[in-house]
Amino acid sequence: MNSFGTFVQLVVDGLAQGSIYAALALAIVLVHQATGLINFAQGGMAVLGSYIGMTVGNLVVPVNLILGVLVGVIVAVAASFAIGAFIERFVMRRFQGGEEDTKVVATIGLLTLITGAIGMIWGFNFIPYPFFFNTSTSFTVAGIAISLWSLTTFLTIVALMAVLQLLFTKTKMGLGLRAVADNPGSSALSGIRVGRMLMVGWGLAAALGTIAGILLAAKAQLNPGNFDAILVYALAAVIIGGLSSPIGAVVAALGIAVLENLAGTFLPWIGHDLKIAVPFVLLFVILLLRPQGLFGRKSVVRV
Amino acid sequence: MITTATGRRMLAFAASAGVVALAITGCGRAEPPAGGNGGGNGGGAAEASPGITDDTLTLGITTPLTGATAGPGNCTADGAIAYFGVRNAEGGIEFGDGKTRTIEIKTYDDEYNPEKSVTNFQQMVSDEVFAGALGLGTPTNRAWRDAAAEEGFPQVLVMTGDPVFSSREDGYLDLGLVPSYQQEGGAFGEALVADGQPHKVAVLFQNDDYGKGYTQGFKDAIEGSDDIEIVKELSYEPTASSLEGQITELQATGADVLFHAVSVTPLAIADLQKVAALGWKPILFLPSNTASPGGILTPAGVTADTFTGVYAAGFAQAAAAPPFAESEAGKAYFAAIEQYVTGHEQDGKAFPHCVWSWTGAQILEEAFKNMEEPTRESFYEALTSISGLETDFTFGPIDTTVEGSPAVQVVELQKFNGNGYANVQVVG
Amino acid sequence: MNGLRNLVDRPWARWALGAVIAIILLVLPLSATEFTNQTITRIAVFAVAVLGLNIVMGYTGQVSLGHIFFVGVGAYCAIIPIRALWGGSIAEGAIVIGFALAIIIPGIVGLIVALAAVRLRGLALAMITIALPIIGVPIAKRFSDITGGNEGVSVRRLDYVASDGQTYKGNPFSAPAWSGLADDQWQYYLVMIIAAALFGLAFFLVRGKYGRAFAIVKANESVAASMGISPYRYKVLAFTIASMYGGAAGFLYIVALQYTSSETLSFGHSIELVIATIVGGAGSIVGSILGGAVYVLVPQITNAISPESTTVVQGIVILLVLFLLPGGLASLPRVLARRFRRARGGHNVDSSNSTEPAIENTENTKH
Repeated sequence: MNSFGTFVQLVVDGLAQGSIYAALALAIVLVHQATGLINFAQGGMAVLGSYIGMTVGNLVVPVNLILGVLVGVIVAVAASFAIGAFIERFVMRRFQGGEEDTKVVATIGLLTLITGAIGMIWGFNFIPYPFFFNTSTSFTVAGIAISLWSLTTFLTIVALMAVLQLLFTKTKMGLGLRAVADNPGSSALSGIRVGRMLMVGWGLAAALGTIAGILLAAKAQLNPGNFDAILVYALAAVIIGGLSSPIGAVVAALGIAVLENLAGTFLPWIGHDLKIAVPFVLLFVILLLRPQGLFGRKSVVRV
Repeated sequence: MITTATGRRMLAFAASAGVVALAITGCGRAEPPAGGNGGGNGGGAAEASPGITDDTLTLGITTPLTGATAGPGNCTADGAIAYFGVRNAEGGIEFGDGKTRTIEIKTYDDEYNPEKSVTNFQQMVSDEVFAGALGLGTPTNRAWRDAAAEEGFPQVLVMTGDPVFSSREDGYLDLGLVPSYQQEGGAFGEALVADGQPHKVAVLFQNDDYGKGYTQGFKDAIEGSDDIEIVKELSYEPTASSLEGQITELQATGADVLFHAVSVTPLAIADLQKVAALGWKPILFLPSNTASPGGILTPAGVTADTFTGVYAAGFAQAAAAPPFAESEAGKAYFAAIEQYVTGHEQDGKAFPHCVWSWTGAQILEEAFKNMEEPTRESFYEALTSISGLETDFTFGPIDTTVEGSPAVQVVELQKFNGNGYANVQVVG
Repeated sequence: MNGLRNLVDRPWARWALGAVIAIILLVLPLSATEFTNQTITRIAVFAVAVLGLNIVMGYTGQVSLGHIFFVGVGAYCAIIPIRALWGGSIAEGAIVIGFALAIIIPGIVGLIVALAAVRLRGLALAMITIALPIIGVPIAKRFSDITGGNEGVSVRRLDYVASDGQTYKGNPFSAPAWSGLADDQWQYYLVMIIAAALFGLAFFLVRGKYGRAFAIVKANESVAASMGISPYRYKVLAFTIASMYGGAAGFLYIVALQYTSSETLSFGHSIELVIATIVGGAGSIVGSILGGAVYVLVPQITNAISPESTTVVQGIVILLVLFLLPGGLASLPRVLARRFRRARGGHNVDSSNSTEPAIENTENTKH
């Protein structure tokens, strides 16, 4: 393969990897939109949802694979919605309006608890996740290898992004979510049921995160720590993208992954051990120039 | 007014500190940290070390039981728990001093954090543990190696290929269990040289002693061979989320051999998928902990002819391979895991470390049988004097008498045949 | 209860209290077990680290998720010169050099980082600070010749030349013969004395002019600027001081553990420090001590009871404490006092009752 071919392949690889960052980033943006906080437990909740989906789905898989996977996905998404709403109502609600530091640490506590609980219930082994197709399937277009899984993930993420963008800007519920995050007090006065909005926001985010969790597990198998390495990238993407914009988060996530790949390969003094510095340098430069992020609305940055 | 509040906080703190202090002082510093606890040793010869009585011996395992490395970490304890569970149920092990003792195992979670493993060491000393064994990880074991030496505390059969634990340095009661990373990498290098064909090798290694050890062993083995050239070496951080960029870069070199010193399961799986997707068919080398047919190759969709050849350095049978479960020893192993390992969904075959831990327990048993005095020194003496011990699952006999070598030394190069591995001598 | 509270309001009572604590801590190691001393020593190490984080986070309101980086750098700055120089001509001087470097170098690094980073606020600053440990680990590995990479470096069993001209193995932090102490007791006193001094300095810092400036910057940067307090300058100052405290904790880490590796800097431990800070009590000196205790004791106690559940228990402890005591463990006496008053019915209108709400308001805005 010539070096241009390598370049294109690296970009394609980056887009595939970035899709997973983007999926988690979208969930984080959604929670931030609804509640104004950054949820460190988002990845942990996604993994929990995936385990539930796997457990239920595996009951049906012996009957029919596709049906089993479908049942698993539906159950996972539904269960995650319920868990997200439950956590908001009975855990995070307590911290609403409190110190920002406390909220962040509460979500970290949640992450620790969920990860530990998954380990105690399902163990720390890597468990194969049944999926619609074999995730090692791939095809070649003009010499560039594309895996079916990557393509599926990418398209899923773009679709979710579009749905979220519409939800935020065009629907009554989306506007309600934003209003609640911006100003719970006056939202309540204007007739929005703040509590329900918060629960719906958390539920939706958890459900969305679980889709990312299943996609990731389908490829890399299921493990309590599946999102550990990804959380940092997703957070960086959310901040670069501007906290409030689904499009911004996705573009930033894809950009980070592609740039990191290229820098690791074409800038030998950075190398693959230090390429993780790239998104942070990018983050720093962008925030100095545009404190609200690439696609963020101009407002006071919270926290 | 703030000062008023502070005053009250200080009072509260003082009160609690005082209570704690008094409680602790009550316990007193009655016993010296070492010695004592003889449990009435009848022989009257040497005074018994802590952690051994006339009918029990306490073994400590500090290893990651939670967190990112908890999968293999739990395994490092499970094999020994199962093995000694069986022995204890039979009434115990007859030691070299003629007394029969049961083996009590205490596990300590270090979360793969060196600071915690030092704490665990201190706790083991406080808990009067006889010896520490079988713990996983280089930094976590290194962290308390010198402290153990100062205490005269055995740190044996550690599950890391870091050669320092087998260096037989004066003053250290330590020994490695598994072959060094260098030895495994070297086994592949030698077989590649034996092939006699020219090869271009691409290397992907974990940026720590693990990856560097494998690579160094490989390089030493191919040194002087003009036909074999390393065309590119790339590293990765164990915390990385994907190595596909590295695979693409390595594939572009046109190498026909991929030396894959990667220890993280999901990364290894994704890498193999990527190599296949790129249409690259190299000769692949995999290290013993990420070569499992059930855990790595099948999930990655690898069959016997996905690549030119998949080779792994191994020193023990894989529990996931079918012949294992059919063998007598294998049946006994799974039965013991099933009966004695509780608390988590460990099946004894997801990671090879469970079998390694079982092997370690067999070696410990041999040392117990031969130790003539209930002391740590006598135990270490017995442990490092074993030769020709046949264990259930290793490829060759155990010899702990070789300077600079860990307990398990016989490394075989194996080739993947679609279901499991078969031993080979030459690559190609 | 009121009598007790009145007693505590008197300055002499507080001094007496402090003296009692000091005496207990001074006498304790002589009779406590080795493991108890080691545990308290480790609590002091992490209490200093948490205190540093509290200065920037609790008192000045700037979220830092990378504090462990400074602890790790401090540990390297202490251990590298000690390994190189101890046992040579300057002998114990190597430890002093290590201590000085462990404070100065992290301070300088912290200053440089802060000059650039504190222009950002809130989450943006938090994200930039995450980069410190994440990039710090591979950088430490690149210099593995001196850092030992992930295998780490130890100062136990260093070579030294004794007066008889022979070379022996020794530990710079083992108790000198003249002290008549065991190693654990010697290390306890060394760590405790340094930690006490650092806590004393911090106490005066946060109660003095700088502390008030930090509080104003935390409460409202625009107000601070209008009062002639440069938020930028004070944030840089707080960050730099925090880094120096982190570095000092790194030195103490070496005294307590005599080992460090690139794993020390890892991001996960940084998060644990943030947890300890908030659970102990943000913006509180006593909270820093409690934070250090939480950091050390929670995993240690869980380990003794059920080693497979350390993660779960940590999660439960964090959420439970925040649920019951949003101000952290340090707010326990305040919450208890309030409960106690409510239980009494709140009918007796005495002086303490009328002042109480005012105190709480001050506390809340201060946090």
